[in-house]
Amino acid sequence: MSHFEPTIIAFLCNWCSYAGADLSGTSRYKYPANIKALRVMCSGRVNPLMIVQAFRAGADGVVISGCHPGDCHYSQGNYFTRRRFILFRKFLEFLGIDPERVVLSWVSASEGKRFADLMEELTDKIRNLGPLKNFTPLETEARGEINDS
Amino acid sequence: MNLFSLKEAAKQALSQTEVNFVIGYTKGSYGFRVAPFFAQNEAEVEKLFFSPLCDLSLVNYLSLEKNTPLEKFGKSPEQKIGIFVRGCDSRAINQILSEKGIIREELIIIGIPCHGVIDIKKLEARFPGVLDQARAEEEDGKYTICFGDKSFAIKKEDILSDKCKHCAYPTPLIYDLLIDGKVEGKDDRYEDIKPQEEATLGEKEEFWKNEFSRCIRCYACRNACPLCYCENCILERLSPQWVKRSVNPTENVIYHLSRAFHLAGRCAGCGECERVCPVNLPLMLLNRKLEKDVKSLFNFTPGIDSEQKQFLTTYDLKDSEEFIL
Repeated sequence: MSHFEPTIIAFLCNWCSYAGADLSGTSRYKYPANIKALRVMCSGRVNPLMIVQAFRAGADGVVISGCHPGDCHYSQGNYFTRRRFILFRKFLEFLGIDPERVVLSWVSASEGKRFADLMEELTDKIRNLGPLKNFTPLETEARGEINDS
Repeated sequence: MNLFSLKEAAKQALSQTEVNFVIGYTKGSYGFRVAPFFAQNEAEVEKLFFSPLCDLSLVNYLSLEKNTPLEKFGKSPEQKIGIFVRGCDSRAINQILSEKGIIREELIIIGIPCHGVIDIKKLEARFPGVLDQARAEEEDGKYTICFGDKSFAIKKEDILSDKCKHCAYPTPLIYDLLIDGKVEGKDDRYEDIKPQEEATLGEKEEFWKNEFSRCIRCYACRNACPLCYCENCILERLSPQWVKRSVNPTENVIYHLSRAFHLAGRCAGCGECERVCPVNLPLMLLNRKLEKDVKSLFNFTPGIDSEQKQFLTTYDLKDSEEFIL
């Protein structure tokens, strides 16, 4: 049996985190290919239900990354993200979804190395947690291979 | 419960020309049932009553009547509605008012300080098949249930609705008229969700998987909830489609997770969702957990003040940074 490689969706805010990820690329700091980056204009744009959609689509982990508090390009977006995220994480835990799979991080545009290190650390953590069992992924449904009964 | 004051209050509300009807309770057609009733004149007011059997919330009818929340905003009220509210109902109305879902001037709120209502399912389990119209009265921690020619005394906590056991706001927080004296609320420590919170992750997953495998996605919970009044409900949308229409444990989890999270910091704890569920899902567990977290994390309780700002549209510079990398 081949070993498990997690799929991690990363919502990166355009101004800080995406630029930070970009910097890690141009600086040739390697980070795992398990991370699939999705650029959003602000971390505050991320609807908590998008995290659920990511899990349902087959992701094993989700990371939302934004500007540091006080440095948001839109002044307050990341404050709202923070509020939502803390509450949502606890709620996911209540429903039996491991909260360690959902990560919020603040990465600025200059933190290329830090981004690479964070993603490496996160991938290791999710790899150890194993594949997500709580949701039957969409593609399995499409192939007719449900059902969780 | 002073029924005379109740009817007088309804008549007083109806005496105003803009008031077309008063929404209250009337005796149901059989057994322990209680029905909502729209009294349109003084003669119909005689049919109104209140007893511990009045377990349903009437606030949902406001959304249905007024149906177009944001469109009517700013227009002068042409039509007013009278409505009977208990404590939890008043919080639901306060929450809708603070969201500008309804205009205060369009309401005549008749407040009933509530001593708790009976869970009809528990009563029907004790006395199955009762067809005679029943009565219930409360005195000294006991309910006296009468139907046919029989009378039973039952300890209050045996058939009290679960939501009433920890109710901190039994006296309406908003009203135009108040019937009877105020009732003191309980100290809510969220003990009811403790066993669920302390279970392991695997146990939690197993529990909810079992529960949600029974869900038939009838949407009764969404329909009955007074705070689910979005014209374009996220659970019905096809573009984007957040919840697929298939009925399996995965989709059901997403449905309930989404709905509960949309009610985070908005749920008034009226328990309608659990009451109307045809397969008895423990939906209040989800809402209670969110209510507890919102209170402890952000010091916010929904429905206290009709002018309060919502917790998700505000922020505190000192919000928790726990678990943030």
